[in-house]
Amino acid sequence: MPDLSFLPDSLRHELAVVGEVDVLVGIPSYNNARTIGHVVRAVQGGFAKFFPDCRALLLNSDGGSRDGTPEAVREASVGSFETILAAHPLRTVHRIVTPYHGIPGKGSALRTVFAAAAATGARACAVVDSDLRSVTPEWVDLLISPVLRHGYDFVAPLYHRHKYDGTITNSIVYPLTRALYGARVRQPIGGDFGFSGRIAADYLEHDVWSSDVARFGIDVWMTTTAITGPFKVAQSFLGAKIHDAKDPSVDLSDMLMQVTGAVLALMDHHADRWKAVTGSTPVPTFGFEYAVGLEPVPVHLARMLERFRTGARELQSLWERVLNPATWTEVARIAAAPDHAFVFPAELWVRVIYDYAIAWRRGRMDREHLLRSLTPLYLGRTAAFVIEARDASADDVEGIIEALCQQFERDKPYLIGGWDEPGGGS
Amino acid sequence: MTSAFSERLMASLDAFLEAVLRFLPGILVALLIMVVGLLVAWVLKLIVTGALRAARFDRYCDGSGLSLALGRADVRTSPTVLAARIVFWLVFLSLAVAGFSAMQVAFVNQLISEFFLYLPRLVSALLILMLGFLLANFLSRAALLGAVNTGIPSPRLISVVVRLLIMVLSFAMALEQLRIAPHIVLAAFIIAFGAVMLGLALAFGLGGRDVAKRTLERQLGDRQDENEDGISHL
Repeated sequence: MPDLSFLPDSLRHELAVVGEVDVLVGIPSYNNARTIGHVVRAVQGGFAKFFPDCRALLLNSDGGSRDGTPEAVREASVGSFETILAAHPLRTVHRIVTPYHGIPGKGSALRTVFAAAAATGARACAVVDSDLRSVTPEWVDLLISPVLRHGYDFVAPLYHRHKYDGTITNSIVYPLTRALYGARVRQPIGGDFGFSGRIAADYLEHDVWSSDVARFGIDVWMTTTAITGPFKVAQSFLGAKIHDAKDPSVDLSDMLMQVTGAVLALMDHHADRWKAVTGSTPVPTFGFEYAVGLEPVPVHLARMLERFRTGARELQSLWERVLNPATWTEVARIAAAPDHAFVFPAELWVRVIYDYAIAWRRGRMDREHLLRSLTPLYLGRTAAFVIEARDASADDVEGIIEALCQQFERDKPYLIGGWDEPGGGS
Repeated sequence: MTSAFSERLMASLDAFLEAVLRFLPGILVALLIMVVGLLVAWVLKLIVTGALRAARFDRYCDGSGLSLALGRADVRTSPTVLAARIVFWLVFLSLAVAGFSAMQVAFVNQLISEFFLYLPRLVSALLILMLGFLLANFLSRAALLGAVNTGIPSPRLISVVVRLLIMVLSFAMALEQLRIAPHIVLAAFIIAFGAVMLGLALAFGLGGRDVAKRTLERQLGDRQDENEDGISHL
C-alpha cells in the first residue's frame, strides 16, 4: 500500500466509511461552479447506465474554489434516471468533496484521486476535467470499460477538436512523445483519462509532486509513465471536446513552460529507452468514431506574428545560443518575410524543438528562461499553422499534423546526436 | 689619523656586515616562505581547477552569461582557468606578504598589517560585484522575456534599465565595502538613483504621456482581446 499520509484526516475518515469500491471517477476543480454540475451529472449517469451493479465513488478534488464549486458538486443530481435511459443504480454512488493538499495545480488534485483509488482498492478509475461542456455518461463507459473489462491500464482520450484548438498538443507534445516513445497516443495531454488501480498505485510511488508534474505537467507525465512502463495503453474516442471559456489569467508562457518542461524532464529520465525507438505504432482505439460540429474559434493572427517578430528582434542573442546556426539563420529569414508570404516549415519547427531539447539537456542557460524564450517561436509556428489550415477540412488538418509527426520521426537521429554529444548531461 | 680613519671605516663596515647578518636570515626566511607560498598556491590552483571542472563551472558561466561578458571584455581564458588564477595569486600574494613580515622592518610590517586588514574587504567587494553581475544578468533576461511574451513595448529598454539599476547598486555597495569615500559614494548613489527614477517618471508622465496612454490602452485592449481569442493551447 502506497504512503497516503499526505491525505487530510477528514478525507481518510470518509474513505474508510466508504470502504472498497469497484470504480472511481475523480474531478479536479478550481472555481468551476458554472460547469461542474453538468460534469457530476454526466458521471452519475455513466455510473447508473454502464456500471449499475458496481460500487462507485465520485471524488471532487478541489483547489480551494471560492465560487461555490464544492456546493455545486454536492447539489448536482440527475433527477430522473429514466430520462437518460438508465435504471436507478442498484448500489449507492458515494460522493466525496475534498480540498487537496500540496502545490496548487491539477497534479496535486490528481494525486489525491490516486490516493483515494489506492485507499478504496478501486479496480478502474477515470478523471474528467471540471470545465467540460461536452462530457456525457458515455465518456465514463469509454474511459473505464477498457480497464475494467479488457485489462488495460491506461486509456487516453481521443477527441474531435476544432482545428485551431490544442496547438501545444498538435505542434509539440503529440509529435514529440510519438517520435520519442513510438506510441501514437493522439491526445497525451487531453486531460480526461481512464486508468487501473495498479497504475494509480504506481503513480503514487514516484517522487514528482513538487515539480511541474504537480501543475500543468501531470497529463503528459501520466501518459509517458504509462507508455514507458509495463502497462497496457489504449485510447477511446469520446466525441467533441468543448470546454468552458479559458481562464484569461492563465499565462501562455507559463503553460508552455510547464508542459514543455515536463516533457523534457521525462525525456531526460527515459533517455535510454527512447533512443532505442524508431518509428511509431498505433495504440488500440475504443469507441465509435463520428464527425462532430465544432464551435468556431477566433484567432488573432496579426498579434501572433507580431509576437514572433518581436521575439526574433529582441531575443536574438538568446536564440543564437540555443539554436543551431543553420536553424537560427532560417528563423531570422522567415521572421523578415511579409505576412502574406509567412511560412514556418515543419522541418524548421522540428529542428527548433530538437535544438531546445538539446540546449535544455546541456544547461546552456537557466531552464526556466530557456523554455520561456520558446513562446514567440511557438506563436510563429501556430500562426503559420493557422494560415496553412485556414481552408482545410478536419481530415486535411490531421494530414498536416501527421506530416509533422513523420518529420519528427525522420529527424530523430539529429536529436540523438545532439543529446549524446560530449558536454551534454544534466 | 690614518689609523683612526681605518678604525672608523672598519667599524662602519662591521656595523654594515652586522646589519646584513642580522637582516639576512629574515630575507632567507622571506624567500623560503615565498617558495612555499608558490608551491601551496600552485597546488590550490590545481585543486580549484579540478573541482570547478567537476562541477561544470564553465557550463554554468555559459548559461549565466558570464562567459559572454568575459568575451566582450576580451578575456579569452575560460572562467575555470580564470578563477584558478585568481586563487593562485591571492594565496601567493598573501603568503609573500607574510614572508616580508619575517624581515622585521617596521615600515613593511605596518604596510603588511594594513594589507591583511584590507584583504577581506577587497574579497567581499569582488564577491559583491560578481553576485551583482550574475543577478543583473538573470533579472534583466527575465524582464526581457516577460516583456516580449506579454507584448509590452520596448522590452530591451526595460531589460537594460533593470541591469543598469542592479549594477549601479552593486557597484555602490562594493565601493562602500572598500571604504572609498563612503559618504560621497552613498550620497552620489542616492542622488543618481533618485534622478533616474524622477527622470523616468517625468519622461513617462509628461514627455511620453501619449505613449503611456497608448501603452495602457494597448495593455488593457490586449487583455480584452485575449478573452476573445478562443484558442485552447493545451
